[in-house]
Amino acid sequence: MISAIKRYAFRKFKESEVKLHELNYLFWECTTRCNLNCLHCGSDCAKDSAFSDMPIDDFLKAIDTIETNSQNFTVVFTGGEPLMRSDIELCGRELRKRGLKWAIVSNGHLYDEKRHISLLNSGLGALTISLDGLEYSHNWLRNNDFSFKKVIAAIELAATSNRLNFDVVTCVNQQNIDELVQIKDLLVSKNVKAWRLFTIIPIGRAVDNSLLSLSDFQFVSLMEFISEQRKQKEIDIKFSCEGFVGNYEPLVRDSYFFCRAGINIGSVLIDGAISACPNIDRDFSQGNIYTDNFFDIWQHKFQPFRNREWTKKGQCKSCKDFKDCQGNGFHNWHGDKKNVLVCHKEK
Amino acid sequence: MKQKWIRRIIGGLSFTSALFIFQACYGTPQDFGQDLLIEGQVKSKSTGLPINGIKVSVVDNEQYEITNEEGKFSFYSEMLEDIVLSFQDVDSISNGLYMTKDTMLNYTDSKVYVDIVLEEMK
Ligand code: SF4
Ligand code: SF4
Repeated sequence: MISAIKRYAFRKFKESEVKLHELNYLFWECTTRCNLNCLHCGSDCAKDSAFSDMPIDDFLKAIDTIETNSQNFTVVFTGGEPLMRSDIELCGRELRKRGLKWAIVSNGHLYDEKRHISLLNSGLGALTISLDGLEYSHNWLRNNDFSFKKVIAAIELAATSNRLNFDVVTCVNQQNIDELVQIKDLLVSKNVKAWRLFTIIPIGRAVDNSLLSLSDFQFVSLMEFISEQRKQKEIDIKFSCEGFVGNYEPLVRDSYFFCRAGINIGSVLIDGAISACPNIDRDFSQGNIYTDNFFDIWQHKFQPFRNREWTKKGQCKSCKDFKDCQGNGFHNWHGDKKNVLVCHKEK
Repeated sequence: MKQKWIRRIIGGLSFTSALFIFQACYGTPQDFGQDLLIEGQVKSKSTGLPINGIKVSVVDNEQYEITNEEGKFSFYSEMLEDIVLSFQDVDSISNGLYMTKDTMLNYTDSKVYVDIVLEEMK
């Protein structure tokens, strides 16, 4: 009964969030250059180093169109590998001058002590570093024999800062699913406070590599692992926002599933396209900073993101959980969009 | 404004403040932290001129910055109850040799400006 009331209240809460559609999380795909060649690359975003890095001024012009800044508005620098750019700090300082916060998602390879200090000096407030397993499985996914050592050094460094809201993300796959307890112990020993796990969307290179995706049984064991570890409270562990997980709602996160793409989350992509999370099909772009007013687009477009009724097709058409799931995470609609790519609940 | 109140009430009914904290799969956590912008200029006591190459560091954490040609520095640091800044000549005699000085910051805001005068070593 209480759970039914909570679910109902949460649906109402989502409706009010959609009406408000307050932008408070903005990805900036500042580069598509990368110093790694990961096995799953291409499954999460359109990596194409043919694009040159977007000049800071172009991005700031888009930022300056924002009329009302919400509290804790955060710009998340993503890529490619954002630390391939040497002017990240400069941009960070410009954002802080405007009263905005900023954060970085990094593979950790270039995150050494010098960079750690210069990023903090420039007002970096949050950081995510990817660790995809113990040494063998991490290096396998990253396609690089030295990656694990570099990432561990970066994690140790980031964990020393009390200022940073820092977490580690792990892409769970067949190679690392059996080592989750050891990875957790490793992170705890390195003083990491928060750990987020996600799985791979079956697009791009991931389609052809069966080791990248979990079986249904493995997926359920991942949910069991996360919900059990959340009770232990050794580390703030959660499943990423990626999908509605049926009976495991809300045991694997701090609240029920809510895909905020286009509702609170926006992005400026490498070619200036305006969208939401970078892993979303680029056909959904709503405008371009080089031809449109960014904030205008945010305020007045984004209809497919704010009204998800169009996802009532394929297997979602007659789903009894549609009200709570609404066609799963937006990034699960790629290609011909006739059906959702992944239904987590079904597993 | 009304919408924001509705948001808080419904949010409170269904869960806690966790509702307002989120991150996308490929994103970072949101930044709810507080920091302090520390800016200032370092000059020579004897000449009154700016000194570059002075290491300005926060005692108690690893952060530091080196003063530029105008003797200026500017960096963000974690907001601690007491912040002591240390000014240290690290480039040897290249533009005079100065004595190290420590100073406790007084701040009430999220930024603070400090003018520092260093004495030359005899
Ligand atoms: S069928 Fe569609 S709406 Fe139903 S749970 Fe699966 S993804 Fe969600
Ligand atoms: S599209 Fe939705 S589910 Fe996917 S990463 Fe973005 S917010 Fe999360």
